Amino acid sequence: MCMGIAMAWSELPAGLIERHALERRAHDRGGEREVRFLYRDRSPRLPIWRDGRLQIVRWGNRDGRSRFLPGTGWTWQATIEEGAWRNLDAQPVDIPANLALERGVWFRVTQGLRGLLVPDEHGAAVVYVICEPASHYYRVMTRSSRMPLLIEERI
Amino acid sequence: MIEYETAVGHLDADCFYVSAERVRDAFLRDKPVGVLGNQGACVIAKSYEMKAAGVATGVPIWEALVKCPDGIYVKRDFRWYEVLSRAMLELMRVVSPQVEYYSIDEFFFQASVPRGGSFQKLAESIRDLIWERVKVPVTVGIARTRTLAKLISDAAKPFGALAVLDREAETKLLADRPVTEITGIAGRRAKRLAVWNIATCLDLARADRRLVRSLLTASGETLWWELNGDPAQPIHTQRPAHKALSRGGSFGETTDDPTVLHAWLVRNLERLIEELEYHAVLAGRLTVWVSYKNGQVGVGQTSLTVPSDRFDMLLDAARPCLRNAWVPRVAATRMHLIAEHLTPRAEAPLGLFDRPDPRLETLARVKRAVNARHGRFVLRSAATLPLASIYKDVANGYDICDVRGKICF
Ligand SMILES: [Mg+2]
Repeated sequence: MCMGIAMAWSELPAGLIERHALERRAHDRGGEREVRFLYRDRSPRLPIWRDGRLQIVRWGNRDGRSRFLPGTGWTWQATIEEGAWRNLDAQPVDIPANLALERGVWFRVTQGLRGLLVPDEHGAAVVYVICEPASHYYRVMTRSSRMPLLIEERI
Repeated sequence: MIEYETAVGHLDADCFYVSAERVRDAFLRDKPVGVLGNQGACVIAKSYEMKAAGVATGVPIWEALVKCPDGIYVKRDFRWYEVLSRAMLELMRVVSPQVEYYSIDEFFFQASVPRGGSFQKLAESIRDLIWERVKVPVTVGIARTRTLAKLISDAAKPFGALAVLDREAETKLLADRPVTEITGIAGRRAKRLAVWNIATCLDLARADRRLVRSLLTASGETLWWELNGDPAQPIHTQRPAHKALSRGGSFGETTDDPTVLHAWLVRNLERLIEELEYHAVLAGRLTVWVSYKNGQVGVGQTSLTVPSDRFDMLLDAARPCLRNAWVPRVAATRMHLIAEHLTPRAEAPLGLFDRPDPRLETLARVKRAVNARHGRFVLRSAATLPLASIYKDVANGYDICDVRGKICF
């Protein structure tokens, strides 16, 4: 289902780090600094590419800030294809990531994850991670039955 | 004419699968990395950073997570590892006239330097050459024999280069290493030696040769000669003919479903037949080996009346073997299918009642041709349908045993 991602500190613009106080999400792994965006964080956020720029937006609607958006952080690809998001002005976005996290397992991601960006009733951007049924390998590795849709790769 | 001195070298890549991943992915450098095998269930290789956290090779991933929560897990890719393995092999064949392709990341070779030259410098230059050209860190050991060379390279890891040819240094090295560091001495053999107070490699080298032979048979005596600097094991530049061929492995997820077990049997058989065909041999005996989660092991074995490499005949023989190896209602974890009593196809006797069936021979040929052209397993038995998710993953289409020509697994 993907409970978080990590991005190398060096790949995030300094302005973005400051504006969103990403310092508190920083960790060290093998001597390299990274920013972890975790769903369990008190304010879950994800980076997205939008209009050629990197932005940080709300991840899902766990806190119920929106009254009509689903109260999770994920959506099935099949749900999107069925048209469930059609009237919500949703658009596909890319979520850049170097690593993704599932049930304690950090695994390498080369480009990132696919996401769906929707505005809430106040016009604020909210992103959902798009999922698909887990592959055999993914299920064995993470014991999870769904996996994130990755950009130009499948594990 | 220049005179040469020769010795035996052993080259071993450092945490090879992880190093191979780092060749194409700089992000993984210096970080704790584990390569997963068995469909994602186990750590089959770990970086030194992950090793430092206490993760051992072969442990299940959930165990590794506890010890190394920051570890990064990647999927194994034997096609890529083979590319780097062969690149190393090619370089080794340039630097040495005799090279043994021992395993995917280990080579034994004849080391030679002009009389008075330095084996130490040679070891360093080979290590540096592989690093420069292939970007894989390796350790090189050079000594009077294979067994000594391997002990030395194990001791010099990682990214080491060490030549030990003087007797004093050799003795010190042997005294420092427990006898279990020698390949082939573990468990029961080590216990037998312990009774005679043989604990270090030096103890073994100094023990009475006849005693060693009585404790460890002829193969143990060979090690004794080797430890004493007498090269008793040659460098095999060609792989000797196989005595047995086998295919199999872990299921990733356990299963007690006989249909799924049968599907694995068929998958392993189709892989085994590829091997029989490649080596142009026929199987005279089949063994099915299944291990279970509760520790039980089931074995079924049969001799074929006529040696064969044909799918229908081998499957008819393998099915009753699986029935014998099957423990109902117990979760199975892995299976191996082993072919023995191999006869070269060209020498196979034709039985009176088993003239080749042209229809089935044609079918086998078509299957081979389609798969050669469109990809391995594109055309396969419908009995494998319960394993659709295994076939969907291209990484499962190529395994360590598919890397041909090496001496050991
Ligand atoms: Mg190695």
